Amino acid sequence: MSFTQWLSDKSKIILFDGAMGTQLMKYNLDPGKPPDLLNIENPDIVKKVLASYYDSGADMVQTCTFSSNLVNLKRQNLDNLLQKINSEALNNIEAIRPSIGKLIVGDVGPSGEFRPPVGNATGDQWKDGFRQQIEVLNAGVDLWHIETMSDLQEMSAAIDAIKEVSQKPIIASMTYRKTKARGFYTIMGDSLETCINKLEEENVDVIGANCTLGSDQMIELAKELVQLTKKPVSVKPNAGQPRLEGGNTVYNQTPDEFVNDIEQMINLGVKIVGGCCGTTPTHIQKIRALIDNH
Amino acid sequence: MDTEEIYKEMADSIVGLDQEKALKLANQALKEDMDLLKVIEKGFGEGIRKVGDLWDDGEFFLPELMSGAQIMQKAVELLTPKLQSSGSTRQSSGKVLLATIEGDIHSIGKTIVATMLRANGFQVVDLGTDVKAEKIVERAIKENVDIIGVSTLLTTTMVNQKKVIEILNEKNLRSDFKVIFGGAPVTQGWVDECLADGYAENAVESVKLAKNLMS
Repeated sequence: MSFTQWLSDKSKIILFDGAMGTQLMKYNLDPGKPPDLLNIENPDIVKKVLASYYDSGADMVQTCTFSSNLVNLKRQNLDNLLQKINSEALNNIEAIRPSIGKLIVGDVGPSGEFRPPVGNATGDQWKDGFRQQIEVLNAGVDLWHIETMSDLQEMSAAIDAIKEVSQKPIIASMTYRKTKARGFYTIMGDSLETCINKLEEENVDVIGANCTLGSDQMIELAKELVQLTKKPVSVKPNAGQPRLEGGNTVYNQTPDEFVNDIEQMINLGVKIVGGCCGTTPTHIQKIRALIDNH
Repeated sequence: MDTEEIYKEMADSIVGLDQEKALKLANQALKEDMDLLKVIEKGFGEGIRKVGDLWDDGEFFLPELMSGAQIMQKAVELLTPKLQSSGSTRQSSGKVLLATIEGDIHSIGKTIVATMLRANGFQVVDLGTDVKAEKIVERAIKENVDIIGVSTLLTTTMVNQKKVIEILNEKNLRSDFKVIFGGAPVTQGWVDECLADGYAENAVESVKLAKNLMS
């Protein structure tokens, strides 16, 4: 089955993966080292995390390439590794993907550079940076997930970059925070409605939201999201908010609480569910059971 | 226009993100020999405080916050030479050293905090990103700052924030500095665990925190 067939199958709830970064942290890696580098330096760990999500029942899992666009790599003086990181990331996920019925998602994250007056990035820099990453990943992915975008203009740059080199379906996930009195906005000031209108205009295949919000607040956002668009909707909330306990990062929500919230979002009409920061294979396993008994 | 009205116009120029108007008013203040300290505090300063409130309320977002602070900065720069030559200087709210801790290259939050602090009369020494705790302490001593602000976005590098306080303790210098933390994963629990002096949820809150610590 292809992704578009899944989308048109009304009874199908698509299960996405959980967090990559917070799972990799459990291996006591050097603090601050970009996780994507592990594709080259320690591929076994990356493969382990990727496989744990397929094994937990995820229908699709994304490449470990969140920060491997040119702008981001350049800031860390790693731009000469763009080709290698992205192609090794593909090799790593292809090596462990089960042979039947599971998909590979190309993960595209933000550049980390803002446009004026906040920073100095331009639309062309963004787009060129994304395109170089996408050209490499396009050789092996089944679809794209552009995620954690807090600027609609940067999201558009990533969509344009994909459309220049690839015909594959796109899930476009912005990240929102809840304002005191005006509902959900990106930190750059775009409302949920503005984002949806723009993403519909760009004709992406799925409109999503991920990160920043825990699953409880994501329910509220999902309610509005399914009302505002006829496109399929994807959610990947955080497992609550992170805090440190005795030097370890913990998230203040149990997997069961998270899965209860996910169930509510499925009942609202959300088509694709998964988790962002703090979620684990346990979360995905429990959502698998939930979907199978739905 | 009486003086109070001009102050209000100045504040409005910042809230309206109108750089041309702000600079025109700053020039007018120079020409009319106004009390420049009051111009900054009651005029433009009032504007930037309102911008902060609007951010708090979710009416303003990052672009407005940064524009407002940058326009404020330009207006103050225009006034500074005359202010200095007259012998009076804008009273500093305090001196703050900012750095993103070792292992973390995220700069945007820290940069916004620096901009907002400067707009509110603080002197800011910004050491950039990926800075070792040892270097932060060394520079804080050299620059004789009042507050050390340590930023991190990553939960993996958060532990290094604590190092700054440990080094200050080792050197018996802890009481010479206020140490504050910033960054998405930082909570009151973490501040308590590290025995830091506080943290702020965002740039606007960080100004309030710094002012409280200086009072």
